[in-house]
Amino acid sequence: MTSNSGGDLRSAQVNAGRDRWRALNIQLWVPPLVGFGLIVVVWQLYAVHNPYVIPTVFQIVDQFRTQPSLYWHDMLVTLREAVVGASCGMAAAFLFAVLMSHVRVLERALMPLVVVLNVTPIVAIAPGLVIAFGFGFTPKYIIAGVIVFFPFLINSLVGLRSPDPEVLDVFTTLHASWWEVLWRLELPSSLPYLFAAARICLPLSLIGAVVAEFSAAGQTTGLGSLIETAASQANLKIVYASVVVLALLGVSVTFVVVMLQRRLLSWHSSSWTRSQ
Amino acid sequence: MPESDATRVSRHPAKSTNDVYATGDDGVSISGIWKTFTTRNERTVAVQDINLQIRRGQFVTIIGPSGCGKSTLLRIVAGLLSPDCGSVSIFGETVSHAAESKHIGFVPQTPALLPWRTVTENVQLPLQVNKYSTSGGDGRQSDPRELLESFGLGAVLDRRPHELSGGMQQRVAIARAFVFDPMILLMDEPFSALDEFTREAQRRGLLELWQSNQKTVLFITHSVAEAVELSDVIVVMSPQPGRIQAVIPVDLPRPRGNLVENSDPFHAVEVAIRRELRRNWNQPE
Ligand SMILES: Nc1ncnc2c1ncn2[C@@H]1O[C@H](COP(=O)(O)OP(=O)(O)OP(=O)(O)O)[C@@H](O)[C@H]1O
Ligand SMILES: [Mg+2]
Repeated sequence: MTSNSGGDLRSAQVNAGRDRWRALNIQLWVPPLVGFGLIVVVWQLYAVHNPYVIPTVFQIVDQFRTQPSLYWHDMLVTLREAVVGASCGMAAAFLFAVLMSHVRVLERALMPLVVVLNVTPIVAIAPGLVIAFGFGFTPKYIIAGVIVFFPFLINSLVGLRSPDPEVLDVFTTLHASWWEVLWRLELPSSLPYLFAAARICLPLSLIGAVVAEFSAAGQTTGLGSLIETAASQANLKIVYASVVVLALLGVSVTFVVVMLQRRLLSWHSSSWTRSQ
Repeated sequence: MPESDATRVSRHPAKSTNDVYATGDDGVSISGIWKTFTTRNERTVAVQDINLQIRRGQFVTIIGPSGCGKSTLLRIVAGLLSPDCGSVSIFGETVSHAAESKHIGFVPQTPALLPWRTVTENVQLPLQVNKYSTSGGDGRQSDPRELLESFGLGAVLDRRPHELSGGMQQRVAIARAFVFDPMILLMDEPFSALDEFTREAQRRGLLELWQSNQKTVLFITHSVAEAVELSDVIVVMSPQPGRIQAVIPVDLPRPRGNLVENSDPFHAVEVAIRRELRRNWNQPE
């Protein structure tokens, strides 16, 4: 009997959850779609009357229809620069954070350097890196990596220090090694912070990659180069088509992070149903 | 004085309590512990000259007003704090040795579970950490699932901590401290966040567990009744500086159910403790 009522309760909860989910979905998707549609309409109206300011929506769509491989190829190049650079930058930032949170002296020694790195406009060092490393991928990786380093480091530090001191006490009385504490406590505790940081860092790394491509004048691949070449020829259609691709790229990258976060952080309050 | 197997097994408070001050490798001996905390402009003597002998298998409760250094003392015994002077020996070992060979089970004031692990996985943690130590006690590690079932948590084995009630979480925390069979259990007000009914049930559960496992327990509480129901020996502490004011043996037969609770001997112990606690306030030094 008890188990029956328990089952009823559970299925009731599931139903309620499903209904809420459906309601949530409508609330979630309709307003942004309407907003987006409105912008497209306004854009189109404006573009028709001002052909030298922005291209029309149809001209942009036409770009993708007539030369999809151009955009596809350049997108892959920029995506690779951003993702590889960001991954290296985030990995390095996390390693630094582990070192800094375990060795206080290191934190005191490194923090000022990191802050200097952060306040330096990365855009300014891009041309120098291009001179040093040429037109290849290296300067793009470096800039994408450097641009994500600071936000990821700060979030990692906060995350690594987030475990409850009483949980740490339990680990200490078990005589857990620093590695066990890191692997079984600090790393999982910091995951919510790392994902929050990744949502900021991956779009940032796209900016880094595009800026690096801008600085490598004469380069022929990547959306940034495409924009620059097209702009020098006053080809607005290509410029804005590239911008649209970049925006879509940013959205997809964020989407992947959010999906991963849902998957891995089901235990964390940030991924419970966000009702209301 | 070495204790005989007979006392250990029968665990008759009447016999063991007189030996509170007996020394030997076979118990926990706390001698001459001092600990001072220095904050920006103040020095607090948290505990002053604590001496205490606990025999194997005894249930010892520390009681005293807030701030009298109970947690400080427990954290020193657990090896989480080092004392300014004095020493602690746990069954003949230093605290760090005891921790290294996983002889210490610690139950903090909050359940302190890992939110990303299920109930079972949380209880498995001590078996996964520091794996190659000589393991606790007699090396009798329990199967986490069986242990949890005996704790009445068989239905929630695969749930996450946030899906449990506070009382269930606390039971999981106690199971986590039991699973690797440590020689001594250190518990810092583990039931303080629970309501009276749940506390009662938890107390009974803990007592049953203790009686079947013969573990040495050092237990902090704020509740006089809880102390009397649980303990072989009650240590009353006084604040500022934190010292041991009295060591009161509890010569009541076990199990101490509802019947005993209303009996005169039960009250006599309660009254004795309350008198000691009150002395803290009436005679400030
Ligand atoms: N880390 C610390 N730094 C400074 N002072 C401390 C620290 N820990 C404890 N104290 C001080 O030591 C004294 C004893 O603290 P302790 O936590 O041991 O008390 P307690 O008996 O456990 O109290 P409660 O019953 O409220 O838990 C208090 O005066 C407290 O302010
Ligand atoms: Mg305390």
